Amino acid sequence: MSEPVVQIRGLTKRYGDLLALDGVDLDIRAGEIFGLLGPNGAGKTTLISVVTGLARATSGEARVLGRDVVRDYRFTRRNVGLVPQEINFDPFFTVEESLRFQAGYFDVKLTEARLVELLTALDLTGKRTASARALSGGMRRRLLIAKALVHEPRVLFLDEPTAGVDVELRRALWSYVRTLRDRGTTVVLTTHYLEEAEALADRIGIIDRGRLLLVEEKAALLARSNGRSLEQIYVEQVGRRQAAPP
Amino acid sequence: MSSLGFRTLLVKEIRRFLRVPGQTLATPLLTTTLYFVVFGVSIGHQLREVGGVPYARFIVPGLMLMGVIQNAYLNSASSLFVMKLQGTIVDVLVSPLSYAEILGAFVLAAVVRGLLVGGITFAVAAAFTGFEVAHPLLAVAVVTLAAVAFAAGGVASAIWAETFEQVNFFPTFFILPLTFLGGVFFSVRMLPPGLSTVAHANPVFYLVDVLRFAMLGAGDASPWAGFGLVTLLAAGALTGAYMLLRSGWRLRS
Repeated sequence: MSEPVVQIRGLTKRYGDLLALDGVDLDIRAGEIFGLLGPNGAGKTTLISVVTGLARATSGEARVLGRDVVRDYRFTRRNVGLVPQEINFDPFFTVEESLRFQAGYFDVKLTEARLVELLTALDLTGKRTASARALSGGMRRRLLIAKALVHEPRVLFLDEPTAGVDVELRRALWSYVRTLRDRGTTVVLTTHYLEEAEALADRIGIIDRGRLLLVEEKAALLARSNGRSLEQIYVEQVGRRQAAPP
Repeated sequence: MSSLGFRTLLVKEIRRFLRVPGQTLATPLLTTTLYFVVFGVSIGHQLREVGGVPYARFIVPGLMLMGVIQNAYLNSASSLFVMKLQGTIVDVLVSPLSYAEILGAFVLAAVVRGLLVGGITFAVAAAFTGFEVAHPLLAVAVVTLAAVAFAAGGVASAIWAETFEQVNFFPTFFILPLTFLGGVFFSVRMLPPGLSTVAHANPVFYLVDVLRFAMLGAGDASPWAGFGLVTLLAAGALTGAYMLLRSGWRLRS
């Protein structure tokens, strides 16, 4: 088996008295869609933040393509894309300018062909010269995805990408995530929607109170669960953990 | 510092303030022009000369410096703070840009805005008082170093600030009073001995004074003291802002 694209070992993150990550070990395999599930405050965003450089681990390490995310941050960040949970946009600039700036931060000169490809894929062609402020919520979400992909990352982190978006857009985003996976991009997806993980993920991880409770192939997980749905498995795992003494 | 990433952030920051020229260039220009007209032209007719220099000409270096440092500070402070507020700071923090590149781009863009305001102020004032500058190279060096110092201070302030009120704290309670008491509109020789001693404890006095020496050929204190101080301020502010950025405080959790 090839080396994992993301390796996490003994990752711990404390915010004062709060233990957000508690010795997490996890490998993300090349070319898979990994669905990370967990309730609010479980540690999903913290885990993504450490790998992408938005947070610093208290202990442990994270590697991308074999390189440490702190020591070799220039290398690892060039290979990672992040779609953050909160929608952000710069009202001073157009969609095209936002994409060109984002590419530039990654030392990439955005070609016309790549720009058109991204705008087409994310249905933003008609908004190329529109100010980001003039976009609808769904368009802003798609612009975030385009920005995360502008430097052609090997690994894409999607932090609850469909939170608050309508069904039609959600289905369109799912389809695009599958396309990315088919082209070789590894996708790590956090979500509250179990239906989303069931529809998209190749492997599932369940995290709660900073600990990974389960990591398994989705197909194998569902096959050995005697007809129970992913939702039932999730409730059982998280419920068992929450019933246990801390 | 020559990376495409650094150049992109620099260009973006310059374009940001050029998108709102009424707010970033015209407003400071109007303010300093009003100061010049009210103090320099109107009161100047009564005061005539200070140290052998026509009063309207005497106040030009101070007005320029005031515009430069206020705008350099406000550019970096407001831009970085708004990025924190909007969440777009994430775009920079997940990129391969180094801390030196991030700081360099914010500071340099703010210096460009400060120098534009300073240059326009000079051009307007010079139309009334003449374009002669005694030591032009020293004048450019002083305004540039002052802009660097206050731009880096703006970066540090934006990292610290959690509200707009905190962003405005430093310019309202430090920059403005120190500038007004720093001899923009008067010579410390015009002050009674007690107040003159207080004025000498104000760092902005030395900045105004060295620029006055550079532009008019004469000042109240040693120009080396002013040049040394502005160099130290620039180096200290850059170092402080770099350390703060690198610490990740209030930026990376």
